[in-house]
Amino acid sequence: MRTAIDLILRLDQDVFAAVWTSLTVAGWSVIFAALLGVPVGLSVAAHEFRGKRATITVLNTLMAMPTVVIGLIVYSLLSRQGLLGFWGLLFSRKAMIIGEVLLAGPIVANYTLSAVKAADFRIVPTALTLGASRLGAMVQLGREVRFGVVAAVIAGFGRVISEVGVAMMLGGNIRGFTRTMTTAIAVETSKGEFAFGLALGIVLIAVAFSINVLFHFAQESRP
Amino acid sequence: MISLLRLAGVEKRYGERVALQLDELAIFPDRLYALTGPNGSGKSTLLNLLALLLRPERGRVWFGEEEVAWRPRQLQAMRRKVTLMHQAPYLFSGSVAGNVGFGLRTRHGAADEMQAVIEQALGTVGLAGFADRNVRQLSGGEARRVALARALVLEPLVLLLDEPLANLDEESTGIIERLITGLPAQGTTVVMSTHDMEQAERMATDVIRLNDGRVSPAMRRDLGRERSSDKVEICPPTKKHEKSSSTALAPSGLSG
Repeated sequence: MRTAIDLILRLDQDVFAAVWTSLTVAGWSVIFAALLGVPVGLSVAAHEFRGKRATITVLNTLMAMPTVVIGLIVYSLLSRQGLLGFWGLLFSRKAMIIGEVLLAGPIVANYTLSAVKAADFRIVPTALTLGASRLGAMVQLGREVRFGVVAAVIAGFGRVISEVGVAMMLGGNIRGFTRTMTTAIAVETSKGEFAFGLALGIVLIAVAFSINVLFHFAQESRP
Repeated sequence: MISLLRLAGVEKRYGERVALQLDELAIFPDRLYALTGPNGSGKSTLLNLLALLLRPERGRVWFGEEEVAWRPRQLQAMRRKVTLMHQAPYLFSGSVAGNVGFGLRTRHGAADEMQAVIEQALGTVGLAGFADRNVRQLSGGEARRVALARALVLEPLVLLLDEPLANLDEESTGIIERLITGLPAQGTTVVMSTHDMEQAERMATDVIRLNDGRVSPAMRRDLGRERSSDKVEICPPTKKHEKSSSTALAPSGLSG
């Protein structure tokens, strides 16, 4: 434990490279997941259409999808023989981001959907009768449920930064390049580098705690 | 005479229940219609239909001479001339000024001169100096007056009001009632729902009574005259009516 704390305090290069990779991959992933998930969540919640229930069921199923399955699907697409193999992305941060977006997108969409369902049903008709376009009314709806949307994005970030399956399968745990906190903990601990794994574990817990504090405040805040 | 809004053979259902069934109904310019009837008689449904927020399962709707085709662009252009104030109006989070300026921003974007217009509208409803207040700090009566200012500032051709005077204190009732009755003279046609027949008789030029989603022929009144025909034909047009309706009812794609 003492060695682990020492690694953190003297800003060990390998520890902080893994932390940086985790934060940047999770950051980009959650940005794309939000761009995808928030409009989907808003649209599904605010519109009545045939197949709405099925869509929500699919979103719920995707939210519960095991990370290794997502990793496997994207791996099969990005591998040399895969449909998108010519992109040459496998074992890169971009590949990791693609997988993480598929992981976080449904989470962001579902949480946004829940936030809209709990919101006042008069928001959209009020905006429409005041002359807003359909898109403008949806933007206004997003503004009114912004705290719920922020909570959705934070939940997505929390999921991405703490998962190991996608990062390992699509990133390959390449030191200084695709090695994240979680993949490093898994691999280094198995090699006997317990202190290194523990140091990253402490940082990961700190990050997870911060995310949960943010999540709590986002959910508690009301306009 | 051109009607502002006309419904023909309209039927609106919620599941199996028929909420509204109208053979024909026309709303003419510069009038104040009181829509009365018991709970569940279809008043709110009719107002939402007239606001083009609900699409009927059957029937045709005209805005001026243009038939509503329920296309998004056409709807948006038409809705910019018809504004509905709900029974319990929703105020967007933020300031009073942000709410009153909402419709103006959808039409013109943010503009410096908007502030003066907002202040003036708030003064009209007796809320001068309320611009910077957070809407969550308002009383029920104040919130309803803000919603009315938000609608009035748009100078709609038709203002639809769902129970605008229900559960209000005396002060708010007086202010809102005075404002509403003055609107037809300023070129805004009003259709307001109310449970209070005395209030309807006092304020309205025309009374339409709904029962089980249908207009009760015996209760259709035009300036005190009983009507028994199945069509709501309102008084003959005056010069002012003809002028205001013909200028305001340009095709939706070209104005608004």
